[in-house]
Amino acid sequence: MKKGLSRRQFLATSTAAVAASALGGRDVQGQESTAESRQKQANGPDSAQSSFSRYSRYHPSFGGPPESDHYLGKLVPGLRQSGLPPVPFEAPDLGKIPWRMVGGVKEFEIRCTPVKREFLPGQFMNVWGYNGSLPGPTIEAFQGDRVRFVVHNELPEPTTFHWHGLELPVQFDGVPGLTQDLIPPGETYVYEYDLHQTGTFFYHSHVTMQESFGMAGFFIIHPRIAYDPPVDRDFGLIFQNFFISPNTATPDSMAMNWNWHTINGRSGPYTTPLVCKHGERVRIRLMDFSPMQHHPIHLHGHTFWLTGTEAGRIPPNAWVPRNTTLTGVAMAQDFEFIAFNPGDWIFHCHMTHHMMNHMTQQVGPRIRQKVDVSRYLADLPNRPPVESSLAQPAFEVPGYPQKMQGMEMNAEAMRKLNERRETRGMRKQWHEGVKGLMTVLRVLPEDLYNRVMHSEEAIQPGEIFEAVARRK
Amino acid sequence: MKISHSPRACNRLPVLGIIALALLFIFTSCASHNLPSLGGQPGQGALFEPENGTIAASPEQTGEGKPLFGGVSSPEPVLTEGEALSLSKLEALARQHNPTLAQAKAQIQSEHAKALEAGLYPNPVIGYIGEQISVRGTVGEFQGGFIRQKIVTAGKLRLSREKYQARASAAELLALAQMYRVINAVRMQFYRTLGAERKLEVQQELLETAEDRQVTVQEMFNVGQANRADLHQTRVLRQAQLLNVQQAENDLAMERETLGAIIGLLQPLGEVTGKLEAPLRHLVWEEALERLLAESPELAAAHANLKADEIMVQREKVEPIPNLFIEGSAGRNFEASETVYGVRAFVEVPLFDWNQGTIRQAKADWRRQRNEVRRTELSLRQSLADWFRRFRTALQKVTEYQNVILPQSEQRYVTRLKSYRADRETWPGVLEAQQDFFHRGLIYIDQLVAWRQAQVAIDGFLLVGGLEPPAGVVPPGHIDSVPKPR
Repeated sequence: MKKGLSRRQFLATSTAAVAASALGGRDVQGQESTAESRQKQANGPDSAQSSFSRYSRYHPSFGGPPESDHYLGKLVPGLRQSGLPPVPFEAPDLGKIPWRMVGGVKEFEIRCTPVKREFLPGQFMNVWGYNGSLPGPTIEAFQGDRVRFVVHNELPEPTTFHWHGLELPVQFDGVPGLTQDLIPPGETYVYEYDLHQTGTFFYHSHVTMQESFGMAGFFIIHPRIAYDPPVDRDFGLIFQNFFISPNTATPDSMAMNWNWHTINGRSGPYTTPLVCKHGERVRIRLMDFSPMQHHPIHLHGHTFWLTGTEAGRIPPNAWVPRNTTLTGVAMAQDFEFIAFNPGDWIFHCHMTHHMMNHMTQQVGPRIRQKVDVSRYLADLPNRPPVESSLAQPAFEVPGYPQKMQGMEMNAEAMRKLNERRETRGMRKQWHEGVKGLMTVLRVLPEDLYNRVMHSEEAIQPGEIFEAVARRK
Repeated sequence: MKISHSPRACNRLPVLGIIALALLFIFTSCASHNLPSLGGQPGQGALFEPENGTIAASPEQTGEGKPLFGGVSSPEPVLTEGEALSLSKLEALARQHNPTLAQAKAQIQSEHAKALEAGLYPNPVIGYIGEQISVRGTVGEFQGGFIRQKIVTAGKLRLSREKYQARASAAELLALAQMYRVINAVRMQFYRTLGAERKLEVQQELLETAEDRQVTVQEMFNVGQANRADLHQTRVLRQAQLLNVQQAENDLAMERETLGAIIGLLQPLGEVTGKLEAPLRHLVWEEALERLLAESPELAAAHANLKADEIMVQREKVEPIPNLFIEGSAGRNFEASETVYGVRAFVEVPLFDWNQGTIRQAKADWRRQRNEVRRTELSLRQSLADWFRRFRTALQKVTEYQNVILPQSEQRYVTRLKSYRADRETWPGVLEAQQDFFHRGLIYIDQLVAWRQAQVAIDGFLLVGGLEPPAGVVPPGHIDSVPKPR
């Protein structure tokens, strides 16, 4: 934190903002003006000299020179107070592994199991994971805990557990042969050790093909007291790739290319949006458990600071501002930002082939008459005559068509997409732009947040989005 | 004839009685050898309405109740241009127009004619006699006429007639076999033509697929997913498929021509209508063989010829038994100036030629024919094995194509179509499945035709070749007396 801005002053600013927000008025901008004026008074004439030194948690703003703690919201705290335990970790579409205290040890029970995971509405894939989930449910613990994992291998083949990034006794590192024998099918194995680290870690099978089959999960170790600046949200996303041929539901773990992409076990647009309140400080933990693909993850509308890796917390003076962060295989990236910009923001891997699923060439009837293949199905022995797409003037332009035709979803699939609370009020065709390694960050003013996340009031498609747009 | 009272005509009344009896015998014998069973029109009608060995009715004929050979006497069908032809109609046309059936009928008539001729009684010899002319200044001691009649003994004429009647029976059976050949050929060719029609339709579908692939690759070329070499290749494939269509058209045209030739019509035939598919009937080898050996017209004809050869042996054995030649004469004895009569009788004594060579030949022919029966049985068995192999293989393939291969290929095509609809499949992938589905259809049609042909052959006693000349009645080497059959 920069010397010129004391922690007390900083908190005063954020407290004012919270107070303004808590008023619940729709004129958030007006309230922020009040907060800004208070900030001016608190900072005195030096800070008021330069408008760019100001950072607003409610508007796009610069926050001062790069050396400033406010620069791009670097150390701007969330709405939550400092000195508290961390906020609960939240990985959309994933559960957590419960634990019980046994003799002063947190004991977790984990089962290695085959899993049927619904990547997209109606598209159930045969993968492997833990406790019936792909990725496995999250292990959440605290620095200083002693933990015990009772692992049951319910797979038809042997497996082991590796605790990625943890500094633990070698006999629990889970490398077959090197440090332990494989856990045979039907057998149980117990790992037990102390946690002295904090950060984003993960667990996974150390049998290669099982890794390709999806066997991994978050292992989050919190500090007892949350790091400063405190965050209001702590999200986690695991990125995975699979190659699943058309007309099968089982990945080919030997394949060298990948056509299905999942975030927390679902593909866009079935990934559940991250929803936060306008002005909150948000942490997102990324973990890439793809077999071979790195992911440049891009967040629209915001700049974030890299605050941690799979090794743990990065000292603030080493934080890096980014819009896109390249997360390599078996790497974790924590980043934080102030959700100053309300709206529905796409959040995705920028590799073009990861922004789609089970890609198909855009040739055939779908670009000839934009009709489906029902007429082929209606009379199989007599196929319809060939339509010539080349007669269309557009085909005079080499390269046409480039547009990835939208996936046609049936009513049941659309119902599944939109029945989730997190998607209420998004634009009607929102799913067309959310494919593959994509999800959505929804930054909502508090009143809209409450309507979406807490009220039972009916919300029409697009209603929330349009309300946000109008306020800008 | 004037009866003289010549002094040389001793005991005239008994002689006249003998002559009268002889003449009466001759005429009654002639009358008895008129083969009334042939009814004056040998070979007609009876052959073409056989009591046994009828050809199995085709599915299209079932219930129609038409006699299979009855078409010979029915009015000639009139073909209108483009008329769709059912199998029953084609069979009726063949019965009327196939020339081999007329040939077979002629062969029957020929054998019946031989039987008629072989059983006819020998004609008498009538002559004029002038003897001792100028003796004692007379015009001759004897001027008058005679009549000579051969009295056939030992049932030679009966045996000869029976021998040729047996051959006529063989001819009728061979004609029946020829009818099977013609009808079988029509049916086989009908199914080939039907198959060619369906294959042309499938080839045209494959042409659509090839054209679609060409358009698809052009679309891919436009977005950099295919190159010029790919374009060239699709043109090659499309043109090759066009040739397949043309070949299928040629095949169909020639199958129709062949069908017309088998029927005996020069008029171009139009589309044939019917079904290649039918309930799959399994055959048991032992049952098929037993039926074939019991009912084969070819084998029955061989047996009939064997019977003829048995009769022939008997016939040649009685040949040495002398016939009796009786001669009566009447005239004027001018020396005695009175009418006189004379009687002579003589026989040929089988002293040197007692037909021993011909008897041996007949026995040899009989032995040969006995082995011909055996050879025919074995030949039928061999031929049945070949047809049964084709039948069983085709039936197995048709069954599997119906139960598994076609449904699975179709399902594969459907799956890819649905996947394409769900954006999980490429259109070239769909076209590949579509092409496979159509190709499987072509193979299926071939197997249906093969199965149908084999079933027709087995049901029809393996008699194929509707334009082959009808088999001759007399095997090579047999005695065939000419001009008087014996």
